[in-house]
Amino acid sequence: MITVENLTKTYGQYRAVDDVSFVCRPGQVTGFLGPNGAGKSTTMRIIAGLTPADSGSATIGGVRYHDIPNPGTQVGVLLDASAQHAGRTGREILAIGAQTMGLSSSRVDEMLELVALTPSESKRRLRDYSLGMRQRLGIAHALLGDPKILILDEPANGLDPAGIHWMRSLLRTYADRGGTVLLSSHLLHEVQIIADELIVIGQGRIVAEGSKDELLAGAGTLVKAVDEQRLAAVLSGAGIAATPAANGGLQADADPAAVGRVVAGTDVVLTELRPADGAGLEEMFLQLTSDTQRENTTIQGASA
Amino acid sequence: MSTSTPIAIDTDRPGVPFGRLSKVEIRKMLDTRAGRWLLIVTGLLLALTMGIILLVIGLNEDLTIGAKGFSDAMVIPLSILLPVFAITTVTGEWGQRTHLVSFTLEPRRLRVVAAKLVAVLALALATIVVALIFGALGNLLAASVGGYDPIWNLDVSDLLWTIGLQLAFFAMAFALAMLFLSTPVAVVVFYAVALILPQMVYSILYGVFDWARDLIPWVDMNYAAVPLMTGQGMMGESVDVGALEWVRFVVTLVLWIAVPAAVGLRRIARSEVK
Repeated sequence: MITVENLTKTYGQYRAVDDVSFVCRPGQVTGFLGPNGAGKSTTMRIIAGLTPADSGSATIGGVRYHDIPNPGTQVGVLLDASAQHAGRTGREILAIGAQTMGLSSSRVDEMLELVALTPSESKRRLRDYSLGMRQRLGIAHALLGDPKILILDEPANGLDPAGIHWMRSLLRTYADRGGTVLLSSHLLHEVQIIADELIVIGQGRIVAEGSKDELLAGAGTLVKAVDEQRLAAVLSGAGIAATPAANGGLQADADPAAVGRVVAGTDVVLTELRPADGAGLEEMFLQLTSDTQRENTTIQGASA
Repeated sequence: MSTSTPIAIDTDRPGVPFGRLSKVEIRKMLDTRAGRWLLIVTGLLLALTMGIILLVIGLNEDLTIGAKGFSDAMVIPLSILLPVFAITTVTGEWGQRTHLVSFTLEPRRLRVVAAKLVAVLALALATIVVALIFGALGNLLAASVGGYDPIWNLDVSDLLWTIGLQLAFFAMAFALAMLFLSTPVAVVVFYAVALILPQMVYSILYGVFDWARDLIPWVDMNYAAVPLMTGQGMMGESVDVGALEWVRFVVTLVLWIAVPAAVGLRRIARSEVK
């Protein structure tokens, strides 16, 4: 259980984390989603005791990270898979971690096997690893001490689609055994695949949170018809607001049954009728991303 | 998830023992290519130093050298490259960003730093022992090459001063590393202060100007220590060793070890690790 309460961190004028509160529960994979620079990494570093917060608190199982004895055996942390000595081999990196935590060296081999790094790959230096291999090594490092809680910053970054699905099943199994997982991503589709619970953050603030199903359920119905102008007229006649959807058809502000009932009595020929898929979340996320980008552009333009 | 019980963190579990942290830090100093080469080159420099002394003894009929001479010569190769270990064990963590891992596995950062200091001092002592063994062997060889009885003239006080001063320079390198948290800056400042200024600048000023003889022992560890070790100044002039000489030596230790260490520790304890 990770509990974050009213966390705030500012750098000069810039509020990197702004009154952030959330909870990650055991048995769930919680996805921390936000555009680059939204405050995900800062929040995670604060949880791991690496960055001091200005105000608020972050605890794990009710304890501050700093007060956890031999924390590697209780909380697995991966903040940056490339933050390892480039000249050490993958195996040596794990061996150092295992020695620090007081684990037997056989644990190193178990973890290498778990993340599918071959013996010959494990003897290569980190500078010769692809980002995907570094992520696998980082996951292995986080899992070395058999912790009950995992904190992973952008672990799927650099993984290919097969790697992302591999991570999904790894973390799913881990959570099913009662583990708690907090992982961040700046890609909606990654989080959609891996996480159960979502926390969406933008410009340091939490803008949405809930189960993936809730958030992806989105608003309304996607409906397509042979004559969409006629469909729009029928819907507005029945008091249902509808707007053109991105990929054709209409996005109606009602559930599919209500839309179907209205149309059934008319001569409109439907070609598609289904719940709108995650449009709410996707649009919100796009909005967040473009807001951030537009703001950056403005600042650059102003200072130029 | 009503069935799952909330996970409690076990706060009664033993922490990471300090001895284990120190062993890990020694391992981290030696398991990279840079670390291994530093040791290899230092070993070669030791062998080279001994070879040159033996050659000189062999070529000069009436020249002799004792254990004191050997110990003075053999610590020179140690002070050339090994302080880099004391610097990179600290700055390497920031340069390679491995401090993210080190400080998550042991969040009490000053314990990590203390383990590093222990590792550095252990390495310094081990290499001094090796150098002394080399020196003792060299002393025997030199005597047989030069055709005289070996001269064992290294007394305990000389030996302790040699070891102590060597450790002080390692501590200085370590303190500067904590202060700057940057390998190039710490290396440049350390070698400028510990090697280049005393050899190239202070030595000339000290020989020429009276004010330099008064000033330099206040700012340079070697110039401050030599009168205490030998009863003579750097130019071989005799010195009445009194409280002043001790105060100067302590001032140089504070200036180059205590002050940078205090500022550096504060920086490490409070800074953001990212």
